[in-house]
Amino acid sequence: MSKLNILLIEDDMIEVMKLNRAVSSLKLQHNIVEANNGEDALKVLEQKDKLPDVILLDLNMPKINGIEFLKILKSDDRLKYIPTIILTTSSNKRDLLACFEIGIAGYVLKPLKYDDYVFKIEKLLSYWSMNELITA
Amino acid sequence: MEQGLKDEIEIYKRALKREKAARKAAEEILEQKSTELYDLTQELKQANSKLQKTVKEQTTELQGVFENIIDAYIVMDLWGNVLKMNEAAISLLGYNNSNNDFNLFAIADKDEVENVMSTFEVLMSEGSVTDFKVKLNTKFGKQIIAQVNASVIIDENNKAIAAQGIIRDVTFENKYRQAIEVEKQKYSRIIANMHLGLIELDKEEKIMMANYSFCEMAGYTEEELIGQVGKELLPAEEDKELVHEKNIERKNGRSNAYGARVKKKNGDIRYWLISGAPNYDLNGNIIGSIGITFDITDLKNLQLQKEGLLKTLETRNNELHEYAHIVSHDLKSPLRSINALVSWLKEDNKTILDEVSMQNFAHIETTLEKMEQLITDILAYSSAGSEDKEKAEVDLDVLITDLVKILYVPEHITVSINTKLPVVKGDQTKLQQLFQNLISNAVKFIDKPEGKIDINVKELPSYYEFSVADNGIGIDNKFHDKIFKIFHSLKKSKDSTGIGLSIVKKIVDLHEGEVWLESQVDLGTTFYFTIKK
Repeated sequence: MSKLNILLIEDDMIEVMKLNRAVSSLKLQHNIVEANNGEDALKVLEQKDKLPDVILLDLNMPKINGIEFLKILKSDDRLKYIPTIILTTSSNKRDLLACFEIGIAGYVLKPLKYDDYVFKIEKLLSYWSMNELITA
Repeated sequence: MEQGLKDEIEIYKRALKREKAARKAAEEILEQKSTELYDLTQELKQANSKLQKTVKEQTTELQGVFENIIDAYIVMDLWGNVLKMNEAAISLLGYNNSNNDFNLFAIADKDEVENVMSTFEVLMSEGSVTDFKVKLNTKFGKQIIAQVNASVIIDENNKAIAAQGIIRDVTFENKYRQAIEVEKQKYSRIIANMHLGLIELDKEEKIMMANYSFCEMAGYTEEELIGQVGKELLPAEEDKELVHEKNIERKNGRSNAYGARVKKKNGDIRYWLISGAPNYDLNGNIIGSIGITFDITDLKNLQLQKEGLLKTLETRNNELHEYAHIVSHDLKSPLRSINALVSWLKEDNKTILDEVSMQNFAHIETTLEKMEQLITDILAYSSAGSEDKEKAEVDLDVLITDLVKILYVPEHITVSINTKLPVVKGDQTKLQQLFQNLISNAVKFIDKPEGKIDINVKELPSYYEFSVADNGIGIDNKFHDKIFKIFHSLKKSKDSTGIGLSIVKKIVDLHEGEVWLESQVDLGTTFYFTIKK
């Protein structure tokens, strides 16, 4: 299994902690880069030589929200190829539809229980680490 | 002297002789003239007899015409006494002047006296009258309306001596005409008083006629309208082009109806419904058009208002839907964080924490789950009433059989579908949720060692009546009304938020049905609901 460069775009501090803790408790070697909002994420993505393999994106964020960020991403000739997985608590069908319309690689609902969360993250990351990726 | 006398005698003699000669000549002339006169008289005599013959012939001829004429023909003296009448006149009036004297004035209806006298005066002064209408009472006791064309007959001194006339029976014609007139007036009245505007346009689209209502609608008087080009004067700027197009259609022989904005004389803009049709002459040529107009401003305003309200409502609904999702997200996120933090605290302090603390952590987790469920249910409730999908045919038999398979039902409870469920029109997801909530509710309240849930359906003329019966704890009558209200849970537990049955009610409402229940405490509860066919 390859080691992934993951860009986590998430404004909630505890959510960031959750992913980091989950990855380390799973003893995975992935590299996680954090961005607290869409603007920060775009700055990270300016470094074209250090592009992430996958992006985990929260939908509800201040300033640029998830869907707006996704649109910017998908209109960029280079960035549009980065698989982007939505990580959210919103089960709103409209959001789901809007995201798939713009183009996403996955839509994962955050479960209430942390254990369930770890379970989901494990499956998600193992799937993507098995994939052939453009940047890798 | 003697010589003188002689001369004188001589003169007399010569004179006498001349006189004699002259007399003779005169006699000769006289004689000649007399002969000429005689000849002339002879010629005149001949001519006269010839003329008389001709006159006689002519008279005979006239007599023939007179007798054979189809219309009634009468000759009368200046006092109305009939001198002569033809067969047609006899059969029309019933009187015959050769049997009895009869007077034409006498058979005129008595209220026609003045009319007859004044017409007679005209006849005498002008020499003729035409189209004189008079009511006559015939011998048959019938009154006819006669149309008379008459002229006077004059003698050689230009003196009127008699009158002749042709009489036609126009009773029926007159009745028809009256009937037509009555109809015409009737329609004129209708046209004038109806609340529809009516205009007649000529080929150049100039207004030829406008009824009272039309004038009222447009705010112009009929005089102001007549002669004006309708499409120039009336439509509001925005709709001039539209009216023009429709007029072209009409010119091509097509009728049409459309709504357009019209500017009244006072500048007010009104909505009219305009219905137009080409107008044809007797030979089928288009001679213009006829338009019927109806002021629909109030209706239109209501419609616009309705559209506006609907739009606002839709926006509001959307906003509410979004709002519910955002609120639910914002409420759920902290729960996830708390759960993660609690779980880490537990994990990191496994060795330090005592049993009581561990139990308290477990309580926190249960509370979080309940909170999570509550938020999920509120979200479900808020979207249960929104009709965002078209209703489709749903085979409940398939849907519910599948649902029962995937639902969590404890071992000791049997769910049975006793009658084949029908196909209904509705929202599949919501119908499933309806059954799911009722079944889950039943499961929750079964306290017997052997639980039973029975699903039945009864077909009624215009709807289906479904029932979900359980043998659970039952519900006291006093709660029957309350339980469909949101947050009215009868059982305080982790999995009961008091929203399930209010969602049931919402979904049933959405399908134009009703929901109620029958229950006996300790024996069980049956929920009924109807769905429109």
